[in-house]
Amino acid sequence: MQIQLTLNGTVRQLDVPDHTLLVNVIREHCGLTGTHVGCDTTQCGCCTVHLNGRAVKSCTVLAAQADGGQVTTIEGLGQDGLHPVQEAFSRCHGLQCGFCTPGMIMASVDLLRHIPQPSREQIEEGLEGNLCRCTGYVNIVEAVHEAAQVMQGSQA
Amino acid sequence: MSAVLSPQPLLRKEDQRLITGTGQFTSDAWEQGTLHAVMVRSDHAHARFQADWSAVRQAPGVRCVLTAQDVTAAGFAALVNAVTVKDAQGQPQVICRMPVLAQAKVLYVGQPMAMVIADTAELAANAAEMAEIDYETLPCAVTFEDATAPGAVQLHEEAPGNTSVVFEAGDRAAVDAAFARAAMTSNVKVVSQRLIPAPMEPRAVQVWHDAATGLTHVRTPTQGLVSMLGMFTTITGWPADSIRIHTQDVGGSFGLRGTATSEHVLLMLAARTLGRPVRWISSRSETFLSDWHGRALTLHGHIALDAQGRILAIRFDNQVDAGAFNVYFSTHIGARNLSITMGGVYKVPALHMRSHIYYTNTVPVSAYRGAGRPDLAYAIERLVDHAAHEHGLDPVAIRRLNFIPPADFPYTTANGTVYDNGQFERIMDCALTDSDAAGVAQRRERARSRGRLFGRGLAYYLESSGPGAAAKDQVRGRIEAGGLTLHAISGASGQGHETSFARIVERELGLPSQRVRFVAGEVGRDLVGNSTGGSRTLYGLGSAIVDLCRQLMDHGRPQVAQLWGCTPEQVLIEGGHWRHAGREMGFEAWLDQAGAEGLELIGQASSGATFPNGCHIAEVEIDPQTGVCDLVGYWAADDVGEVISPKQLIGQVHGGVVQGLGQAFGEHAVYDRETGQLLSGSFMDYAMPRAGILHGFHHQSVPVPTKLNMLGAKGVGESGCSGSLPALANAVVDALRPLGIQQADMPFSPARLWDLMQSARS
Repeated sequence: MQIQLTLNGTVRQLDVPDHTLLVNVIREHCGLTGTHVGCDTTQCGCCTVHLNGRAVKSCTVLAAQADGGQVTTIEGLGQDGLHPVQEAFSRCHGLQCGFCTPGMIMASVDLLRHIPQPSREQIEEGLEGNLCRCTGYVNIVEAVHEAAQVMQGSQA
Repeated sequence: MSAVLSPQPLLRKEDQRLITGTGQFTSDAWEQGTLHAVMVRSDHAHARFQADWSAVRQAPGVRCVLTAQDVTAAGFAALVNAVTVKDAQGQPQVICRMPVLAQAKVLYVGQPMAMVIADTAELAANAAEMAEIDYETLPCAVTFEDATAPGAVQLHEEAPGNTSVVFEAGDRAAVDAAFARAAMTSNVKVVSQRLIPAPMEPRAVQVWHDAATGLTHVRTPTQGLVSMLGMFTTITGWPADSIRIHTQDVGGSFGLRGTATSEHVLLMLAARTLGRPVRWISSRSETFLSDWHGRALTLHGHIALDAQGRILAIRFDNQVDAGAFNVYFSTHIGARNLSITMGGVYKVPALHMRSHIYYTNTVPVSAYRGAGRPDLAYAIERLVDHAAHEHGLDPVAIRRLNFIPPADFPYTTANGTVYDNGQFERIMDCALTDSDAAGVAQRRERARSRGRLFGRGLAYYLESSGPGAAAKDQVRGRIEAGGLTLHAISGASGQGHETSFARIVERELGLPSQRVRFVAGEVGRDLVGNSTGGSRTLYGLGSAIVDLCRQLMDHGRPQVAQLWGCTPEQVLIEGGHWRHAGREMGFEAWLDQAGAEGLELIGQASSGATFPNGCHIAEVEIDPQTGVCDLVGYWAADDVGEVISPKQLIGQVHGGVVQGLGQAFGEHAVYDRETGQLLSGSFMDYAMPRAGILHGFHHQSVPVPTKLNMLGAKGVGESGCSGSLPALANAVVDALRPLGIQQADMPFSPARLWDLMQSARS
């Protein structure tokens, strides 16, 4: 089927089999491999991207569902420099192997869009759908907390 | 988008690519025209089979089906087992190596039977469904009892009683004598349940063969070039110089990425045969059935005490589940890692252990973060705690009484291990003070008034880091592009080597870490070294880098002397500076002036095992109505020796402690006893730790630098779970003790705790 989507600001027209998943369009057809696949049951969140301004797990979204939509991946997040969440993940050491990181960052950006000043409990709950095996999550929660403060400061 | 540029630099060199999605994991790049492979795996735990692959071969898009016949025709050997031992009578261990592909018989659900290669992964998967396999199922054994009972089903003809070996270490007679005269004895059996390592990047392999050069290129996550290359050559029989291994970013390892597996060598065969690049990317469900599992140990500890509570002897009787075959590390776990520190941090005059390594119809077991060391720390520290409570002794006091005192180092344990140093009592006191030991009674009472059971657990772990397989670690330093490039073998899987090793150069030479570049893998193929593992790479390879830095200073000395008109001997070297008669020059200034472009030197060091140790304290509250257990406080005081990168150190501790928390509260690879099916085969059934599992975490580093390597570091990668398993278990049992419960096994899930409490009440 023919689909059209705006990926990180660029309009893409694609001809893909009906059952193609959004993550496969992003990785295989468009070559943006920052979005990772870490499971096949929608548990790990490594494939998290933004579809029409909402975080989705792109392994559980058909490409057809993104037809006409706006998709932002990790590559498109900080097009004018690093996003404060990206910086905070590094500064707070919220990543080790980095495989879960793109999905974790995309989920965190979405969380902060909905709750600009989250409590720790809200951060923990907001990231429940993203797994990390390296960090024990302590510094990830710290990074989101710090990013929230930086982002609030930049708006003031 | 509200992106703002920040002047603050990133913490690690690796981070720029990993936070922008430009890292290179194995599945992130592929050649044009790459074919796709899918595995056919056994559906049954134990069966004879006959297969007809003709429909698969004729399916659309299929290029090739590899079966056991192809593996035999290629002359491939079975997968590699790393370590063998002898039993107490001197008889060699039975080793049952895993075939690359099953022939006529399968021994576990998920065992590879064939590889299907097609134009797309989807075509390969569809074709694989068309395999006609007739299984004649056999009874299976997935527990120690079922595997070793008289008349049990036999997995391997050459292994009667499904026994690989009964290994013994220590002095049985001395231990028996000590128990005979003991004033008090105690024993406790702990199960360190089977786990799924589950690094976030699923296993992946890509292979392409260059006919012009005769080179076969393998792209896959590794822990370093050397162990995997050795296994490839052993299995394929191909010369090492015909194989190249490419790895950049590795999405976690925890012991898993050290070995060559069926998928690797099958793709190597396919790429050479077909002349096309081929890739295989594991699904997560497939990793549950095909990545080596971890832990799967039962340790039965016995302790003999004199009337004052001094330890006279410790004995362990262990059951070590190897899974269906001996792959890589299970013997190393069951023999070396469960024996060499089996007295823990205590003065124990007599030690004896026995490890029964046995086969079951399950995924083979290999290394998982600590590989037996966390399990042993768990068992010893449960045993000491259990004995203290059983005999009315204070658990802190019994430890204080039995610690090896600082004056006794170097200390040789009853089974011959030499600990170089340690300040156990001081470090325990740090943890006690930090955790407000004086306020425990009040916190216990407060929890009680809220209807909750309060438990506090203390553990003092000690482990032996990896000695390394190679006699030394080498690093090549090359001055290029105005900076220092380091080449080595030991690859990272999240540890941040590019950052830490640059920082060591900065410490030694004052050269800013931005001017240092670390590259591991093929570039270091000509060097001696070790794959990353056993918490040793920072100090192992790091010491070689210290040596390199010293050589660089020696190398520059004559030039500096010439510049200053003195003899080289008159030039002193101090901390990355040359000094003479009030003059001083730093390494960075020399690099800028001397034009040493192209200079190459090899640094090297031999660094054996070290003994990281520390005291962890956990406090938990259990809701008696639901069995839900909350971690309410966690304190760790660790001696991991000299610290190079404090923030990365704490990251390793967090990760290790939480892998322990995962094991304590949720993770469990469960097999159905009748069918041998893995019941917890996805992240929906296998309870991975999630955000928020650890907060209120307090850590202090109390370094007692070692002299066993040039950095004074002891290694940190595996200490977190060694401390957290026993601290958490002691806390949970402490909370349950008022109900008369003296022992509980992990995972402490709400259902399990609720059941325990119900049984205790009735």
